[in-house]
Amino acid sequence: MDTIFAELAACAARPLRYASEWKQATGRKVIGSFPMNFPGELGHAAGALPLILQESEEAITVGHGLIYPFYCGFTRSLVDQAAKGDFSLLDGILFGDHCVQLLGAADAIRMQLPQTRVIFYQLISSMNDPWTHGRAMESFAGLRREMEELAGHPVDDDALRASIKLFNENRQLIRRIYELRKEGKAGLSSRQMQSIVKSSMIMDKAQHNALLRRLLQQLEARTTPATADVRLHLSGHFCQAPKPELLDMIESCGATVVGDDLYHGFRYISTDVREDDGDPIDALAEWYMARNTRVPCPTRVQNNVDWDGFLINAVKNERAQGVIVLMAKFCEPHMYYYPEVKEAFERHAVPHLLIETEHESMALEGLKTRVETFVEVVKRRYAA
Amino acid sequence: MQTQVPQQKKANKLASTKLGGKLVNDYWEMVFRAREQGKLVCWYEGSAINPFLQAADICWVHGEAYSALLAARHQEVTAQKAAEERGYQRELCSYARTHLGCAITNLRNPVPPDAPFVSMAEDKYLSSRLPPPDMIISAYAYCSTGQQWDEMTSRVFGKKVPIFNVSLPWIWAQKPDAGYLKGQEWEETSAYVARQLNDMVKFIEQQTGKPYPWDRLRELMGQVKRASELRLESMALCSRRPAPASFFDWVASIAPINHLPVGPEIVDYFQAVKTEVEQRAARGEGAIHKEKYRLFFDGIMNWNKVGWLAEKFAQYDAAVIAGRYTHMAFWQEPGLIDPQDPVLGMAQNYLVCPNNHSAPILIGQILKLCEQYEVDGMVLHASRTCRAFTNPQFLIADAASKRLGIQTSTFEGDVTDESFYKDELVNSRVEAMLEAIDARRARAA
Repeated sequence: MDTIFAELAACAARPLRYASEWKQATGRKVIGSFPMNFPGELGHAAGALPLILQESEEAITVGHGLIYPFYCGFTRSLVDQAAKGDFSLLDGILFGDHCVQLLGAADAIRMQLPQTRVIFYQLISSMNDPWTHGRAMESFAGLRREMEELAGHPVDDDALRASIKLFNENRQLIRRIYELRKEGKAGLSSRQMQSIVKSSMIMDKAQHNALLRRLLQQLEARTTPATADVRLHLSGHFCQAPKPELLDMIESCGATVVGDDLYHGFRYISTDVREDDGDPIDALAEWYMARNTRVPCPTRVQNNVDWDGFLINAVKNERAQGVIVLMAKFCEPHMYYYPEVKEAFERHAVPHLLIETEHESMALEGLKTRVETFVEVVKRRYAA
Repeated sequence: MQTQVPQQKKANKLASTKLGGKLVNDYWEMVFRAREQGKLVCWYEGSAINPFLQAADICWVHGEAYSALLAARHQEVTAQKAAEERGYQRELCSYARTHLGCAITNLRNPVPPDAPFVSMAEDKYLSSRLPPPDMIISAYAYCSTGQQWDEMTSRVFGKKVPIFNVSLPWIWAQKPDAGYLKGQEWEETSAYVARQLNDMVKFIEQQTGKPYPWDRLRELMGQVKRASELRLESMALCSRRPAPASFFDWVASIAPINHLPVGPEIVDYFQAVKTEVEQRAARGEGAIHKEKYRLFFDGIMNWNKVGWLAEKFAQYDAAVIAGRYTHMAFWQEPGLIDPQDPVLGMAQNYLVCPNNHSAPILIGQILKLCEQYEVDGMVLHASRTCRAFTNPQFLIADAASKRLGIQTSTFEGDVTDESFYKDELVNSRVEAMLEAIDARRARAA
């Protein structure tokens, strides 16, 4: 198992190096995309490696000559990486999303990389209009044409269906690990869980599936001792991965994370694409809408689903005793929705703690005091 | 002892813009009385869909307009505090934070029955006065914040208010045929938005229970078109030296073109403005008494500091002549509007909001304005919580400097949260920019 995690963690820690080595080994193209909704299946079916661009661990330097410091760390990091030339290996970059800060990053990156094909395909973000499905299909159909131009060959329906099947398998494998974690049978840290999901965003999918199958065999074969730790749900972070040291710190305070709705977590794997002989573009559009119904995202608007309601149900389903909300500083969608979530937790007596996270250093010792206190509060509440 | 600014260093504001003050007050009084008069109330932000609502005799409430009004009157704090108490963070769009604060105070601290509205200047309950909505229409170009703001407003009101979303795509303009107002992407996007506006009209019919009065909309759009033409003609006169009106005069004229009731009054308003600008141009009277520098203002307005900034730049003998917020917004393409069949032209004007083209096109339009008005420098307002406007600013400043040789300077502020404004930074940076302009002139001489 250690070898598997070493491989997953190495990929997660150095995504661009993995992509570069893959490109050299295969001679094929690498398409970088922004989160959250690009169907990697399309890039895969075109024969490319679809890579979800990640926040770098490096301090932001030249990027601050292109974007203000009062933007979320993720957009600043991406602009910084582009400005430093880190994205030179990419054959194309895709942006599809609606978040205004990502749009600013898209503009800055396109100006920095005039030789790189930068594709924008704005997905409709209003999720339950009569035209939502049709518009999503138009966007994905347009994207497919772009992939074909990039690849230099058609991307036919059979190839796309095969990619969908592969990606679905990947999501199902990771969801099985999530089930084991919820049942207390995984014995994995949050850092390890993150490396599983994050490496899926980067690695060749067939390679990742093979690693996951081996990992699951070992996880299901072993016995994990029960723990008296406080069971927590982690919520937030719709684009970038929470820093692993933050996750380590939370767990060091006597907590076990039993579920999450992070992008580098359950959001990424929650929903499969329909597999049948029908139109795969139609299936992808359906997937795009179903994902938000399954795990509502504040970056979309959908009046008939409630993220706060989802969280309360998730807490019950996971038998979580509390929630730590991780809010990336300057993340507007989260800032908008947080009061609803907070009030829902209060109405349902769910203990919760808000931690604002930053790209730059965080005062972990100060945060640790807050988490330790929170864990104590939860323990006392459950003992009472 | 307070230092008096000499008259010759004060901003020479257009007298005609004062006419707008009464129009603004009358409009908000109409809003405050809407419920008494049995009108349906629609809350909206962003795109100027108000003619659609006015035609249907629905009372329209533009969220940013109210937040800006409160900030300009320094009465925004009550609403902003209410929002923060609920858990909205200060880094959130302050337009939204102020407006959501109004929604919250409306629900939690309604106006006492014994406190009828008297006047804007005297009222203590402005943050509670907005009538709650009967419907919400979201039509916000470029900025995800706007759409999310409307959705959260709906949730503040318990999701009991029907909401309609018009999606306005960003013009990315990557294809070879793309350009300002042209190209396949432009044509298709315009048609997509127009279709949604027609569906929006059906939504309005469902709310009112009446057929939509298209003739009334056509009439109103004829007046919008004329008002817009007069406004643009007035602005164009400011390419003269000295510029007879300033960016701050155009800011004061936003309300009439953006959200005040459409009618002969707004046409008369802009005719009065144009007449005054023409008269000033004829006698060589400027927006400031001594025009030594001509500047472009990029970014959204800092509503807490409108007058303050107007006077500041006047003291520097700097005429701020044009800006992205005033000159690339608010029905600025009246030629696209066919009053007899207005929907497509309205859709296209919503799509050319000052942020909704990607940087290459946006920068092209801005530099054209800089050349038209022969500016020496550009001031960029880095509005802390309005990232829609700040997104391309580094790119704009770089292009202005490299392609036109203009000096640029950035200052920090915000749309309606005064705590983000840093006055000493404005002073030192603007002074440095003006010194750089002087040095460049000396070299050229």
